[in-house]
Amino acid sequence: MATLTKLSGPGDALYTELCKAAQNSIEGLRKVFFQSDIEQLATDTARDKKELLPLVQELVNHSLLRLSKLDRALCWSTRPRDAATAISRLNADEKLVYSYVEDAHQKGIWLRELKKRTNINPNAVTKAMNKLENAHLIKSVKNIRAPAQKTYMLYHLVPSDDVTGGSFFDAGDLDESLIDELSNLIIFHVRMQSWADTKTKRIKRETTPPPLTAADDPDTAGGKKRKRGPTTDIEDSAATTRKYRLSAYDTDDPTIEIITQLALPAYSRAYPSAEAIHSFITTTDAIRASKAAQLTVAEIQNVVDVLVWDDKLEKIGDGYRTVRGIKFRPPGFLGDEEAEDGDKVEGNGLTQVPCGRCPVFELCGEGGPVNAGSCVYWGRWLKEGA
Amino acid sequence: MAQNLAELCIVLIENSLGELSAQIFATLAEHGRLTVHTLAEHAKIPLRRVRTGLTNLMEEQLVLHFAAEEGAPTFYSVNWRNAYNLARHTNIAELVNDRHGEHAADMVGNILQLGHARVGDLADAYDLQPASKRDSGIDTTADHMTEEGLVNGIAKTSSAKASHDMSTSEFHSTLRALLRSGVLVKVGTRAYMPPSDLQEQIEEAVIIDQFPDRKVTGPKKQSEFKLAINVLKRKWREDDAYSDLHDVGSRGAIKRPGDHFKTENKRIKVNGGHANGVLHDGEQSTTKLSDDLVVRVDFSRCTMAMRSRRLEQHAKRYLGGVTAAVYGALLQTLEGKVRAVHDDLAPDNSDDEESTLPCSTISEVAEILDPTIDLGASIKGLPGDKTLTNGTNGKKRHDEFGDFGIKRELSDSEDEPTTNGYTGYRDRAKRLSAIEAHLALLEEHARHFCKRTRAHGSNEWRVDFPALNATLIEAELDATILARYGKLALRVVRLLRERGKLEEKQVASCAMMRIKDVRAILTELQFHGILEAQELPKDNARQPSRTLYLWFFDTFRVQHLFLQQTYKGMARTMQRIPVERERYRTVIEKAERTDVKGREQEKLEQPEKQALREWREAEERLLAQVDRMDQMVALLRDFSGKDTSLTT
Ligand code: SF4
Repeated sequence: MATLTKLSGPGDALYTELCKAAQNSIEGLRKVFFQSDIEQLATDTARDKKELLPLVQELVNHSLLRLSKLDRALCWSTRPRDAATAISRLNADEKLVYSYVEDAHQKGIWLRELKKRTNINPNAVTKAMNKLENAHLIKSVKNIRAPAQKTYMLYHLVPSDDVTGGSFFDAGDLDESLIDELSNLIIFHVRMQSWADTKTKRIKRETTPPPLTAADDPDTAGGKKRKRGPTTDIEDSAATTRKYRLSAYDTDDPTIEIITQLALPAYSRAYPSAEAIHSFITTTDAIRASKAAQLTVAEIQNVVDVLVWDDKLEKIGDGYRTVRGIKFRPPGFLGDEEAEDGDKVEGNGLTQVPCGRCPVFELCGEGGPVNAGSCVYWGRWLKEGA
Repeated sequence: MAQNLAELCIVLIENSLGELSAQIFATLAEHGRLTVHTLAEHAKIPLRRVRTGLTNLMEEQLVLHFAAEEGAPTFYSVNWRNAYNLARHTNIAELVNDRHGEHAADMVGNILQLGHARVGDLADAYDLQPASKRDSGIDTTADHMTEEGLVNGIAKTSSAKASHDMSTSEFHSTLRALLRSGVLVKVGTRAYMPPSDLQEQIEEAVIIDQFPDRKVTGPKKQSEFKLAINVLKRKWREDDAYSDLHDVGSRGAIKRPGDHFKTENKRIKVNGGHANGVLHDGEQSTTKLSDDLVVRVDFSRCTMAMRSRRLEQHAKRYLGGVTAAVYGALLQTLEGKVRAVHDDLAPDNSDDEESTLPCSTISEVAEILDPTIDLGASIKGLPGDKTLTNGTNGKKRHDEFGDFGIKRELSDSEDEPTTNGYTGYRDRAKRLSAIEAHLALLEEHARHFCKRTRAHGSNEWRVDFPALNATLIEAELDATILARYGKLALRVVRLLRERGKLEEKQVASCAMMRIKDVRAILTELQFHGILEAQELPKDNARQPSRTLYLWFFDTFRVQHLFLQQTYKGMARTMQRIPVERERYRTVIEKAERTDVKGREQEKLEQPEKQALREWREAEERLLAQVDRMDQMVALLRDFSGKDTSLTT
């Protein structure tokens, strides 16, 4: 392309004006100007449309302005000066490719899509891309939606969360250990603020006290006898937990410590909100600082929502409280504690009988290929007691 | 009609009445209304046997009969609700046991078996002295079938009576308590008519009475007509309702209208005084019920009690046993105030749901709350004051509310005189504020278990049953999904329920799961009918690859699905019982031989005893499971009171 003449004074002034306006807007460089916008800004440099038009054209020629169409109206947006200089040196193909990548903004564009849209020789596209990449005008990023496809975007852009998947993605893959760590941390934090504990020592009885799930479980007895002796009342009354024990010799200790979970009086406090949890998470040392800094409140809210769906947290007012009986792993504890995670599924009348989980439920019936008599699941159920 | 329900009902009837009745019921279920003759034809059973079977079914009110007019042929049709209710007997007895004690449970059990019972016959069955020989002339016209039915029934019950020695006064006071609490109701003549026919009769009566020109069309007339019908319906129902005043046997202690019935026998016993100074036959005086009073169990009322219990259990899961107990007491106080769950006469124009919900005061709750519970134990900062538990309220309570199902032992053990004055007052205030703290906790919870009426400071509380019922249903569906498909599936379901229709990518990001895992779960749940996907083609070509799938969870649909599955599960469980019995047949038969019966210990070999025990255990486990599934049915179908799937 022919070398450009130097930028004219009024052109430069207009460009500066537009850049300033763009910077002041929330969209930044993505700010688009319609003709009327430019006219307004350009009152100093150009008196009317006739004078304005060549100026704009000049800026476009210098690649300082980018022409595009929005809702059928022409509009322009600004480019940084150094990018403009670099672009000026490109050939036509490269310019075309660049403009497509530029249009894709933070979302990026697939290589394949690029080839299709530009409608030029695929090899030429590849060549152009290489050159642009080497010139640090564009870069390739990993897109979680299509990990196999190469996605390109302008070099200076930060890929949107759509592309990276946000903080919970590590190079395009879901970072489950981070989510898990964070969940535990949140439960820990919320638990400490939402229930009080009392500890009572008692002499270990011959029979070990029933584990939490049995004592607490509303349905264990299936609504059978609900004897409520005053002595079992306290145990029954709140989630009781046997103290977490690390050393084995503790078991010889004749006393056991029972931690009873006490509710805090209603309306006496604000339970931690997502914002509060976020500020705890980002200031604690438990999460790698670089990771923590990235976490947004919305992302924390997302984890919290999942914990609510998992019945680990419950919403109280504007904040959250742990669901009664929910425990966290002691910080730094690495063992496998899934079994104690309250995951024991107790089910209901239907799912406890084999029919409730039967693979041939639909087929089963009197006179059918299977029936209650020929059924093998019942036999097993009656024998195993489950 | 729902085939699963029909199958279940047939199994239930076969189990309680035998094959003949089951067969007749099955035929009626299939064909609808039939006369005896067509029935015999369809069922291919001799007419005489059909009549026997029908009689049995009618005694238990499993079949309705109605003739359009005098002399017209009688038609028979099934009563779905009553048939299904056979599965609820154990749960009801259980409930009555919890609230009113063993004797009451036993009596209710018997009445359940009989369908309905004359008080006199029931008393005979318990081998009590007849309460009243003289006819009290009360308009309890028992159906002619009743007497006949009772003969059989009593044979069944009389074997049990040996173990229960109940005094006449105990018998009557228990009965009265049950009647007052609504567990039992008086049976009127109209109970045997199919509801649709009853409706016709009412309409006819209203027309003759108020619309002689028979014109009931036009919006104004229509609404007047409807109103008149409801008024009459209510009146008929009230005619049929039990009243403390009218259903008293003439020789029982006479109650004056102003006499508060609650100051009943407990007080009398303690003081050794005579209530109203009337004493009969050297027995404690209790108002005796008319022998001719016919009573039955009110299932809808019991369903309500089941709902209370379920809600209490739900609260316990989230807030612990003490708070749940307080909640249970609140719910129980409300039961008496809520109109029957199945009340179709409640005014429809209740835009203001709020104001139609009944409410209770904290002191009402205090009165029926078990005084041995340490109210302070589960909330931080409340005094776990032991003196509270021995406080005065318990005592007073029993005198006033002995009929609300307080455990007998408690009231009997409280011999200390009522503490009066300052300490009593202070303890009571403490107790009330502790109760209030628990109620506030329940209100604060995301499920809003209860609500303070009006603004802060009021001491009246109400429970938003429709909303909580939805909560219970969701929780039940969740429990089923969790147990079947795991916690990740539950997460997906709950997020879809909350967020509405979502695309698979959105689901993945909300659930923080990998897309391929999400996809697997979505398809599995769709396969089982839990989730549905709406197709949204991106263009007109409707290619699958260019189609968006929006996933969603339809609570109502899944609720219905699980209900049907529960029916089916119950049927299969019931069907397994005879299969198991067959396996142990030789032992069972031996144990039932007359020379062995009652002397199993000596007559049976060790392995035989072992086998017998195994059989009993197996049967018990199967039946227990049926009970638990019935609880599910109650929750999914009956708690809302809006279900119409069982109306004939
Ligand atoms: S009876 Fe057996 S085969 Fe039939 S549904 Fe139940 S578990 Fe399945």
